[in-house]
Amino acid sequence: MSVFPSSVMEPEVITDLPWVTLVWNDPINLMNYVTYVFQTYFGYDKIKAEKLMLDVHNLGRATVNSGTREEMERDVAAMHSYGLWATTQRDDK
Amino acid sequence: MFKRSLSGRVSLILDQNERQLLRNLFNQSLELLEKDDVQQHDDPLMQLMNMDGPTEISSDQALARLFPDAYHDDDEASGDFRRYTEPDLRRAKLENVRVVLDVLDDDQPKVQLTPAQVQAWLLALNDLRLILGTRIGIGEDNENFDSVDESDDEEIAEDANPGLYLYDYLTYLQEMLIQAI
Repeated sequence: MSVFPSSVMEPEVITDLPWVTLVWNDPINLMNYVTYVFQTYFGYDKIKAEKLMLDVHNLGRATVNSGTREEMERDVAAMHSYGLWATTQRDDK
Repeated sequence: MFKRSLSGRVSLILDQNERQLLRNLFNQSLELLEKDDVQQHDDPLMQLMNMDGPTEISSDQALARLFPDAYHDDDEASGDFRRYTEPDLRRAKLENVRVVLDVLDDDQPKVQLTPAQVQAWLLALNDLRLILGTRIGIGEDNENFDSVDESDDEEIAEDANPGLYLYDYLTYLQEMLIQAI
């Protein structure tokens, strides 16, 4: 365990780069379940939810939302509650 | 199986064997989620501040899948995230399983579910598939599993691994449930 202060407690560095929530492909979650989660949690319409699901499936991952770090951590926790494999990071694009 | 009535309510229809099988499987979910194999902070102040979760990913593969790292390349941030969120996440997953087990305790062949029960079933069923799928190695490069969709090989693969039969059954149930909602 690190002796450094918790990064969660550090003041947010002002930056142009927002944070993103990524959902990663996995062999167990069903495609229509993933679509359902994107529609239900993010409120995306079916077309957008399906496109994101297909990106996850075909490209291995998809950026499903962007915003502040706190918002993205909330998304990641929600995705984990649905059993989706999600991570957050600074947008590197 | 799950069925949606004209009024929009979702019903669960199971025979006695299915109910018993599902009770057994969900009890194993319950046991796994209650398992205290992760290091916990025993500092009362940390507990009070709801920061008493573990900081490291579980060495149990199924638990690691249910509670993955939130950061790909930042162990410290992942640890902090886990400490704040995992206890609540675990409680929520446990509660879903308990709701499911309550429904299964009702010995009626057909049970009409409330929206909250439907939600609990959806999530608990998915978690159970993640646990079982991880245990039997779904997605790992294993030729037994690559061929499960081909009917010729299906029997052989399922014979070789009874877990695969259960996994397929749970997948079928979840497909039905998603269709019903």
